[in-house]
Amino acid sequence: MQEKLKLIEKEAIEELKSVENLEQLEPIRIKYFGRRGRLAEVMRGISQLSKEERPIIGKLANEVRERLNQEFEQVTVRLKQKEREDSLAEETIDITLPGRCPQLGRKHPITQTFDRICEIFGGMGFSIVEGPEIETDYYNFEALNTPPHHPARDMHDTFYISDNILLRTHTSPMQIRFMEQHSLPIRIIVPGKVYRRDADITHSPMFHQVEGLLVDKKVTFSELKGVLTVFARRMFGEKTALRFRPSFFPFTEPSAEVDISCIICGGKGCRTCSQTGWLEILGAGSVDPEVFKAVGYDPEEVTGFAFGMGVDRIAMLRYGINDIRLLFTNDMRFLRQF
Amino acid sequence: MKVSVKWLKEFVEFDHSAEELAHLLTMSGVEVSKIERLDSGLDKVVVGKIVNLRPHPKADKLVLCDVDVGGKTVQIICGAPNAREGLIAPVALVGARLPAGMEIKPVRLRGEYSHGMLCSEKELGFSEDASGLMELPTNLEVGTPLPQALGVDDVVFELDLTPNRPDCLSIFGVAREVSAILGNPLRLPEISMSESDTEASSVTSVKISDPDLCPRYAARIIRGVKIAPSPTWLQQRLEAIGLHGINNVVDVTNYVLMELGHPLHAFDYHKLAENRIIVRRAFVGEEIVTIDEESRSLTDDMLVIADAEKAVALAGVMGGFDSEVTENTTDVLLESAYFNPISIRKTSRALGMHTEASHRFERGTDIEGLITSLNRAAQLIQEIAGGEICKGIVDAYPVKFKPVKIHLRPERVNFLLGTNIKRAEMKDILTRLKFEVSDDTCGEGVLEVTAPTFQPEIVREVDLIEEIARIWGYDNIPTVLPTGDIPLVKEDIKIALRERTKSVMLGCGLTEAVNPSFYSPRAFDAINLPEDSPYRKALVLQKPLSEEQSIMRTTLIPSLLGNVQWNVNHQVPDVKLFELARIFNPKESELPDEREMLAGVISGSMSSGLWNDKTREVDFFDIKGIVENLFEEFGLVEYEVKPVDHPTLHPNKSAQIRMDGEILGIMGEVHPNVLDNYDISQKVYLFELDFDKLAEYYSNLLRESPDVAKHFQPLSQFPSVFRDLAIVLPEDVPSEEAKRIIQKTGGEIIASLKLFDVYTGQPVPEGKKSLAYSIEYNSKSGTLTEDSVDVIHQKIISQLAKNLNAELRS
Repeated sequence: MQEKLKLIEKEAIEELKSVENLEQLEPIRIKYFGRRGRLAEVMRGISQLSKEERPIIGKLANEVRERLNQEFEQVTVRLKQKEREDSLAEETIDITLPGRCPQLGRKHPITQTFDRICEIFGGMGFSIVEGPEIETDYYNFEALNTPPHHPARDMHDTFYISDNILLRTHTSPMQIRFMEQHSLPIRIIVPGKVYRRDADITHSPMFHQVEGLLVDKKVTFSELKGVLTVFARRMFGEKTALRFRPSFFPFTEPSAEVDISCIICGGKGCRTCSQTGWLEILGAGSVDPEVFKAVGYDPEEVTGFAFGMGVDRIAMLRYGINDIRLLFTNDMRFLRQF
Repeated sequence: MKVSVKWLKEFVEFDHSAEELAHLLTMSGVEVSKIERLDSGLDKVVVGKIVNLRPHPKADKLVLCDVDVGGKTVQIICGAPNAREGLIAPVALVGARLPAGMEIKPVRLRGEYSHGMLCSEKELGFSEDASGLMELPTNLEVGTPLPQALGVDDVVFELDLTPNRPDCLSIFGVAREVSAILGNPLRLPEISMSESDTEASSVTSVKISDPDLCPRYAARIIRGVKIAPSPTWLQQRLEAIGLHGINNVVDVTNYVLMELGHPLHAFDYHKLAENRIIVRRAFVGEEIVTIDEESRSLTDDMLVIADAEKAVALAGVMGGFDSEVTENTTDVLLESAYFNPISIRKTSRALGMHTEASHRFERGTDIEGLITSLNRAAQLIQEIAGGEICKGIVDAYPVKFKPVKIHLRPERVNFLLGTNIKRAEMKDILTRLKFEVSDDTCGEGVLEVTAPTFQPEIVREVDLIEEIARIWGYDNIPTVLPTGDIPLVKEDIKIALRERTKSVMLGCGLTEAVNPSFYSPRAFDAINLPEDSPYRKALVLQKPLSEEQSIMRTTLIPSLLGNVQWNVNHQVPDVKLFELARIFNPKESELPDEREMLAGVISGSMSSGLWNDKTREVDFFDIKGIVENLFEEFGLVEYEVKPVDHPTLHPNKSAQIRMDGEILGIMGEVHPNVLDNYDISQKVYLFELDFDKLAEYYSNLLRESPDVAKHFQPLSQFPSVFRDLAIVLPEDVPSEEAKRIIQKTGGEIIASLKLFDVYTGQPVPEGKKSLAYSIEYNSKSGTLTEDSVDVIHQKIISQLAKNLNAELRS
């Protein structure tokens, strides 16, 4: 019996070696482990053995069974793995074929620029507020220290609806509206559409601005420089150089025009910056005392600064767009680039 | 405003290059927007003289010229008709690179050498004249570099002046600025003249009827002038800054205007009735022909210069044609006056006349300095046109100018700027800018400052602070961040909502459009609106740029359809756009109603068109799906979709969206008639929603948290039972009805309901349709048994049968 068991074990192991797939394995498993299999046959023969032999052979038979079981298990695992590998090897695709992607829409480049500007100022504690696009002469001009017949009105060619009602020429009227309604401190930005009677490759009769206003008890011009420097570096890159130069706006004094080092040529001079190395991107200044008077603030007690920038121009610079009219044609080939 | 650097140097000295000077001016608030070199391209171009001329042996139309170019003679081949012996003409020597880019090299033409080029005006960039060689004055020295010979060895700045800087509207004014920046001394032009014994006041008089509009009017009389063209130097000066010579007297007035910034006018003395001046308001309906030979009809708020009978000039704007200086003029009345800026501005605006004079008067001229200009002009006229200057000035000055004394607190300067400028430095800056600064007259370190009369706008302390800041240099002001408290402003819910709306639109594949806020009134015809449509009540611009941009939008639809048209015409048939923008409706009150609208269009194919994506044309349910997505985002579930009769839309494939009975918007297929109007030959679907109303409904949903409309629903702990339900019912029953009955009957136990099939045709009988639903039953309180689901499911079936005549599909 002992020999027989050893022979079974040897033959089984030998047979397993040649098995190549699970299909071939099953008959072998039945041959040895089946109800009429070779091990069962041995087990059945044990009852005919002597009392002394029975436990020895029984133990040996169990050991053989156990070992063969393990062998079968190992072979099964190996074959399953092989089978999976084979099937994976067969499942090939051309991974360079284009993917299936649902077409997402694109935000307009002006909106993307607005978003970035608002995000930067939001980080400096500015809240977003909005105002009407159609304004009275009072809010658009008079309250901003621009009385009728002031030459500064030439700076804005205005669309009128009636003698007193106009399309706002800047987002600055919101300075007045907001101060009329709120007390100190004030820290707002005002994004929105504005309108001027002007149309060419760099001017559109409708364009976009972001106004900023910070008013408190001890606001200095140097803080204006600080806020705008942070803005410009975040917006245009850490290496952006800034230049503040004196300018004029009726509602700020001192007033400044702010240039950044040309983002195209880095300041060496190119076509975009007309060889100057600088790009004019915003106007700013300390709030003029007359503006504070118009909203009932005491200019001796209150100081502040305001700034305004053209979003379309910034968007054009950011993306290298050369004609402002492209922004408003809504050509899918253009819009889908951003 | 143009400034010649050469001219500038007459008044102030500096060694800086043109670029350096331009930078300094720009950084002090006088922006130099352009630097133009008049001699660019004229390097190696000299004055030459043709000393000998002979035919080219092998070319009929060419001649060989021996040209004296100073010290040597070169042979130049020339084909110009006016080439002749003795002609003085510009010669581009070998090595010159002309303004148009042409480089001069020695060439051989049919066997003959040419060492340079005789030039036309066009070749030198002076004019478009290419008919022949430029003929130079015979007195020019041969060999002189051309720029020097013509006085164009100069650089011209183009200034972009802000309205607060009338003081820089002259060469002298800019020189004054340079002197203040550099601290270099300023030289006044020397004025000296000899006057005759005749008193000016004995031959003319000035009467000012309206001193509020003309506080000062000064005149001089110059008799016996000889009108002629101006000398070359004067013409060159004017031309350098873009003016053209007329005659010597007129040129002098222009010259002094540019030099000192005060507009002057010269009258022909004998053409003034009674030889006297009256400054008065025009009579209603009074007419004057101005120098430009236009007849102007005046109103009584316009100021005129008149003689005893009639208006002879439009004060401060333009002289009169009848009294202008002509070649027959012998005696001249020279005017130097100050006019009220607002009055001049009104007049020039009303008449649409913007002149060098009105530009300056409306920004404020120097009422005290006008005598200097008058004398300077008289001196120059005498020098150039001869004649005698009558003794004295007739100076009507009824309203004396009172300079404002401004108190300047040095600590206020530093407080406002955030600087640490010393008081002495402030004093120095102001003094350099010609301010009078008196010390310690008001105590506590306060400075008493009087602005120079050429700075009429500077009247407040803050104006002085700006002057100090700009000369001190903005670059020298520290850069710091604000330290104050950050205020909390109540957030506008619309701003956040807009962001989420855009995300939904982008996710649905719509790209964002931005259209102008205006369009043509014909846009309403294009979208088929009837004559009485409320949309046609639009705001009209008074002076639009064009009819295409003449009214404010009352709906976004025409803009987006225009965008579809554009794209289809440019070979982009798949168009999916949305726009979120304001429309404008006239209102009784002062300002119109501004409402924000959300609109979208889709047309063409819905798929990406790629190999693995089935192509499908967009249809009504694509546009509806976009709207549903949006409402779901906001948690708005209680809306209704109802048929609508909208002239822009297909009568049967359109709907309106309502909430509590109020219309929120429309959606549907665009009517083929409208598509015809846009020349679009593919189907287009659109929607337009009142975004403000949407935002309002959303706000109503908000509970405790400031921006949260949705509340968490606990997930069920128990398994669901899924059942399909296919029913056959009359075709005209809206599916919404079936859905309503299923949900009502099932109640809370229905966790989800999905219509997965809609079918008509065999074997479904004609006039009927089949709807197939997948229903998920779930209870949050326990596991549902098959039996309990059966009961409900059967109940639903019988309700559908009872209410909609629906039967189970077998």
